[in-house]
Amino acid sequence: MMRLKTKLALFNLLSKLIFTALFLLLLPLVIERINLRQVDSDLVKKREQVIGLISKIGIEPFMASDTTGSFGSYNILKEEFISLERVNLNHDMNYIEVTNRLIEEEEISYRVLNYTITIDGKKYLLEIGKSLTSILSSRKNIYKVIVIFLILIIIITFLTDLQYNRILLRPLGKITNKLKGISDPSSFNMTPVSTTTSDFYKLDQTLRELMKNIGQLFDKEKEITDNVSHELLTPISVLRSKLENLLISKDMDSEIAGKIEESLKTLHRLQTLVNSLLFIARIESRQYLMEDSFYINEVLKEIISEIIPVAEDKGIILKEEPEQDFQFMNANRSLIFSMFFNVINNAVKNTSQGGIVLIKSHFLYDRFNIAISDNGKGMPKEQIDTLFSRFKAKMDVNEAGTGIGLAIAKTIADFHRMVITVTSEVGKGTSFSFLFPENS
Amino acid sequence: MNVLIVEDEISLSNEIASFLKAENFLCDLALTGREASEKIAINLYDFVLLDLGLPDYNGLDLIKEARKIGSEASFIIITAKGAVEDKVKGLDLGADDYLPKPFALAELHSRINAVARRKFNIDDQNIKLGEFVMQLKSRKLFCKEQEVDLTKKEFDLLQYLVLNKSRVLTRQQLYEHIWGNILDDQYDSNFIDVHIKNLRKKLNNHAPSPWLDTVRGVGYWVSTE
Repeated sequence: MMRLKTKLALFNLLSKLIFTALFLLLLPLVIERINLRQVDSDLVKKREQVIGLISKIGIEPFMASDTTGSFGSYNILKEEFISLERVNLNHDMNYIEVTNRLIEEEEISYRVLNYTITIDGKKYLLEIGKSLTSILSSRKNIYKVIVIFLILIIIITFLTDLQYNRILLRPLGKITNKLKGISDPSSFNMTPVSTTTSDFYKLDQTLRELMKNIGQLFDKEKEITDNVSHELLTPISVLRSKLENLLISKDMDSEIAGKIEESLKTLHRLQTLVNSLLFIARIESRQYLMEDSFYINEVLKEIISEIIPVAEDKGIILKEEPEQDFQFMNANRSLIFSMFFNVINNAVKNTSQGGIVLIKSHFLYDRFNIAISDNGKGMPKEQIDTLFSRFKAKMDVNEAGTGIGLAIAKTIADFHRMVITVTSEVGKGTSFSFLFPENS
Repeated sequence: MNVLIVEDEISLSNEIASFLKAENFLCDLALTGREASEKIAINLYDFVLLDLGLPDYNGLDLIKEARKIGSEASFIIITAKGAVEDKVKGLDLGADDYLPKPFALAELHSRINAVARRKFNIDDQNIKLGEFVMQLKSRKLFCKEQEVDLTKKEFDLLQYLVLNKSRVLTRQQLYEHIWGNILDDQYDSNFIDVHIKNLRKKLNNHAPSPWLDTVRGVGYWVSTE
């Protein structure tokens, strides 16, 4: 994963490099063409000068200077030359070409203008040449300067792009920061992010509205659970107090006392069920705070010390093998306690005499994991699938309750962004594994 | 001790009152917040049992009002709303305890006792049980000057039974008192039986404990001699 601003800067750099490379590839061609055009127009200008001179003073002064009947002149550095000689040609010539000339045993590339003039019925060939060496070397120099200039430009624009992107994307960073570590819409920072980019403004606004809506939904759910709680638990409360008062009254017949106790038991089941469902609803509407930091093995030790008397009584070994410990941050200790209590207690209940319930803690790569395994009766696959549902179909008529304890455990795990996995084999045992999130 | 029961469900406040009267409390009832507000202003109460779900009043405001007029009554919140933040708010406002409905009357009694012990500084009370002496403050049990080694849960269990002396407590009531925060309807009555069995074993290693008695089919109790 890469940050957006880095991506943008890299993309800019890449596109600049590609365009520059193309430009540098085409540059020699362009420079050559421009240079040649310049040279050509110079040559044409010189030609006009020479023709003007000839028409003024005649061809003789040129021809007379040499016995061969031709005229040639080049400057000391051999950059330019002019030659004029008589030719016997039927056609006229007027073109510019590149040829190599041997001058004083030195071969030099020239751009040469060839032009025929007719004076007094005689044809003369006028050649005006300009050396390309100077052009080539100047081209090299220009090329060098341009390359250095472009590299500088690329470096400077890359740095300014990086800086500009950072400033430009700062609101986006603020928005993502606001979302970091949010477990509850009420902890979302509602102050708008200041930005002049309309897209960011819209994003921020939409997020704020979304959070507000979710917050309102949570509030509504909280209100509903409060009301349901009140309506359902008040009558249970009345019944319970009445039965308890009956039970403590003197001269109570022991048979009636037993029946009242039975009724209280049934009532207690109803109460636990209602409370369990409300408990799940409250966790799901995020009414529990996540502000505790604690070590997991210490929680497990506390739970084991409470369950071990029951395990020992049943002839079951309940053992902890803590390989590593983990400090859980921003969690709810009492919820985590309930979750592990339910699962460990469940394991002890489903294991028969001589069995073992083993609790292992260790890191799986970078995440902490708790495995609770027993060698009890195990369960078929169909039962695992419905294990965490609130009202699973009972597999065993002898089983007490509706097994809502595991549904609660699952809700608490989800709330803490933990992953529970169950593996089981009939007759061999069951294993629950709790994978913790990384601390943020 | 004077107790005001603020509860709009009349049949519930009657049951609480009849239970507390048997424990020699003087009980007064208020069915609405207004009535409660007036009664708190006029009378001196040691305890106010306050239901937060009153039709005409936010129960938490009653605590604020009472504190404003200098009432020294201890507030125990009893509510069926069970919202997590109500508990925090209530305790922040100076309520002394918080008891979610439905609760066992024995639990209410032990909570009132605990608050009373703190309030009247009778924390260092020692309770005699046959040849044993229970120190409430240090949470220790002695037998002839020798300490009986009990786990935290065993002591809690025994203390609960002792504070509700000569009253039978059902396994559920005991379980709820000790593991009230754990919700599991596969609840095992065996849990309490095992703890009582271990407790008895430890007691009997020091001296016989006939006062810790089983009532078949119902539960356990600590009998007075």
